[in-house]
Amino acid sequence: MELTRLPFLKSALKNRYPQLAVFIVMLVGYIFAILAGLIGTPVGSHNFSIVFVWIAWWAILILVAVPFFGRGWCAVCPIPLPGEWLQRGAVLSPPDKRPKWLNLRVPKMFRNIWLQNIFFLMLALFSSVLLTTPNVTGIVLAAMLFAAIGLSIIFERRAFCRYLCPVGGFIGLYSQTAPIELRIKDKQVCVTCEGKPCYNGSQVGYGCSWDVFPGGMTKNTYCGLCMECIRTCPHDNIAVNLRPFSADVAKPTARLDEAFKAFIMFGAAMIYAGVLLGPWGTLKDAAYNVGTGAWFIYAAVFLAIIFIVLPGLFTLAIMTTKSKQALKQRFMSLSTALIPLGLMFWVAFSLSFVLTNASYILAALSDPLGLGWNLFGTANAAWRPMLTTILAPAQTLALVVGLFWSARTAQKVNEAGTSTIPVFVYCFVATSIMLWLLL
Amino acid sequence: MKRPELISRILIVTGILLAIGAPLLLWARTPLIHARMAENGGWNPDVIQAEAGKSLHLKLTSDDVVHGFAVGQMDMQSVDVIPGKVTDITLTFDKPGIYTFFCTRWCGLNHWRMRGTIEVSGSPLDPEPASVPLYVSLDLDIDAPHDSSIIPNQKPSAVSGQQLATQLPITSYQSPDYYRSHSPYQVFTDLSDTSLTESQKWDAVAYLWQSNTTPESLANGKELYAQNCAACHSENGAGDGVFADDLAEAGEASMQTMEGAMDMVMQSPVDFTDPRRMLGASPALLQGKILRGGMGTGMPMWGVIFTEEQIWDLIAYIYSFQFEYEK
Amino acid sequence: MSYRFALLLLVMAGLVVAFAPLPVQPITPQERTFEIDAHQFAYSPSELHVNPGDTVTIQLVSTDVVHGLYVDGYDISVEADPGQSATLTFVADKPGSFRFRCKVTCGAMHPFMIGKLTVGTNDWLYRSIGFSLLAIFAFFRFPRVAKD
Repeated sequence: MELTRLPFLKSALKNRYPQLAVFIVMLVGYIFAILAGLIGTPVGSHNFSIVFVWIAWWAILILVAVPFFGRGWCAVCPIPLPGEWLQRGAVLSPPDKRPKWLNLRVPKMFRNIWLQNIFFLMLALFSSVLLTTPNVTGIVLAAMLFAAIGLSIIFERRAFCRYLCPVGGFIGLYSQTAPIELRIKDKQVCVTCEGKPCYNGSQVGYGCSWDVFPGGMTKNTYCGLCMECIRTCPHDNIAVNLRPFSADVAKPTARLDEAFKAFIMFGAAMIYAGVLLGPWGTLKDAAYNVGTGAWFIYAAVFLAIIFIVLPGLFTLAIMTTKSKQALKQRFMSLSTALIPLGLMFWVAFSLSFVLTNASYILAALSDPLGLGWNLFGTANAAWRPMLTTILAPAQTLALVVGLFWSARTAQKVNEAGTSTIPVFVYCFVATSIMLWLLL
Repeated sequence: MKRPELISRILIVTGILLAIGAPLLLWARTPLIHARMAENGGWNPDVIQAEAGKSLHLKLTSDDVVHGFAVGQMDMQSVDVIPGKVTDITLTFDKPGIYTFFCTRWCGLNHWRMRGTIEVSGSPLDPEPASVPLYVSLDLDIDAPHDSSIIPNQKPSAVSGQQLATQLPITSYQSPDYYRSHSPYQVFTDLSDTSLTESQKWDAVAYLWQSNTTPESLANGKELYAQNCAACHSENGAGDGVFADDLAEAGEASMQTMEGAMDMVMQSPVDFTDPRRMLGASPALLQGKILRGGMGTGMPMWGVIFTEEQIWDLIAYIYSFQFEYEK
Repeated sequence: MSYRFALLLLVMAGLVVAFAPLPVQPITPQERTFEIDAHQFAYSPSELHVNPGDTVTIQLVSTDVVHGLYVDGYDISVEADPGQSATLTFVADKPGSFRFRCKVTCGAMHPFMIGKLTVGTNDWLYRSIGFSLLAIFAFFRFPRVAKD
């Protein structure tokens, strides 16, 4: 269903002001979160930056934005705003096409998501500190903002978002399952279109900031929903569609960086469920005490699970069936099956974490800087886990749906036509482990 | 530049400046007293200025775990200092001087090191001469061994002792001055010219100790003990509290911080259930130990914290590990 | 086997997995006491097993800073200072597995200071694994539905 047929929505997307207004509000909130992290109370569970980033934002991102809107978060994320202003020399007015800064193309070897994978893993290994220490969260938020500004000056388009943002990597991966897509309406129009303003920019707008040519787009992965092409397309050939869930994962992954991204996210969800939500204090100590011997062991095991154990077992599983297709090819395409299940792992993990700690949001709202304010009368709201009775059924539901969804995906992406039972078994075992960790 | 572009830029810049400026300004204008575990810095600031007769407003917050706040030797309810929250408190000091404030909720092995001072200025209205503690006026060496050479076979019972009291002229022993300056063992030997059996003598001692305190004092002492002593000396007095092991491990490190105390042997928390040790100690001796502290052993100095009355209550309670009192 | 019939079977199988009573040996409820050490950021022991109907007493002993213990599902809690252990007594009348967590902010990793109380067997885990199996079988029975 084409959403852009709705006149209200279409004009809201074509017009720059609504998005800019959201950007400004988000940027103010983002900078406030950085400051709250740096000068607010050092107590994580009461600090605005921790509570708003890791409880409120995370809940919205993983439970709502990604599953239902794909890269919807990227459409309103304020991180690229300052850099883009510098890069374009304007906030609104479309170009004057002369490049303001270096405007280099990102070197070919970096034009993949390995840097995102690495950046994500770097944060993941420090996650226990990052999640609980306001200073660290503040510094990381600020670093991302400055990295985006720096890269905007050196490279063309949104180099940070596309190639470095640790969050963007998995949002892109899981946005393939979302029921929202931005696509062209008629391929023929693009073929004959002169100058391709959607990619190169025109008098009315900028070229794709995500370095994607909409005419050739088949997956959500790298479309940041910046809406620029809706503004620039001279033929009104761009649509935002409502579609069945997981339409993109019917197309097998064909890149190793994306395949490994699936394993990274899949494994990280399981490790977090065990370390953060499990009853094992030694693991938590190891994860938190960065720099100690125990932490190095934790980091090594973390990386080994993600890069060796999980992909290794997966490879062994799919080797049990014979196929003419090259193993690497099958590994990549069948790894697509882990995408829906991985998303549901994160949903199940986050449900527990978010529902348990959601009551901190009220207190942090009333006293965001920890100065003893009581803006909304909720500063003394007591901590109390929410909805504990429906948590376990909800987690089971998410995981079982994820498993079914993955089985279906495996069937669809199985180009070789061999049995997909090994993938089913792999997913079933992983789901059982996740159930055991969470329930 | 077109007008919409200009307005947008102004909006963005204003937003950024507001998001940075407003929190910084408000933050700078709200001075807080931060509480941290002693090993991470303790109180900050740890010296507070005040004026006698004028009220002092303090905003307290904790940066890590639950702490508490109270001023020593002052009749005040301690307040909790909760992580991430701000506790408001107003104090008024009648007399100038240097007061000690301290943490009232156990926050780790070094909890008791978490102290600071409030310097109250003003003219002294009626300078009171400081009273000399009993252990000083008795000239007791509180570090000398003081073991009781005879110990009872079972816990002496104050109830049995009370029955004997009517038959015996022990009322002379009941004055507070006598009680405070004698150890149970000394009283036991003072009773040697009576016709009592050994265990009867111990029962009489127990009764004597009970008659020098009140149920209220014991309850008060019990509460003080639970809050301040039990973490090391244990809830049952046996000296194996939750920090006893940590103290032994941290022993050397904590001793090096004490000037000139390097030759002292690290001691584990005293076992109040040990009759040899406790029956040989007079209330005055215990007062000295509590007032002065253990000098490098990990036993805090409580002189600036407890009032004299609180210390006597605490001592009365500590003896209850030795004696069976009336319930 | 018609499509509808298979669907009906599947739903029924689902209901069986969800609600079928599992064999339970009758166990006379007993009183159980656990002494739990709480320290940054773990409980020891951190996993408790009791039988449904047992009267459970938890003696919470904090060994560094003030900690608490809140039992998910039962919505009860207790708080202990070092040197002042506290007890929590309740009847374990809800079967299943429950997290218990610290309720007094006790440092950075406080939100993750977690233990686990299992009352009886963790039926829901086995039922959930049953659902997972069912999901896979359902997939084989309805390949066409699944494939469209």
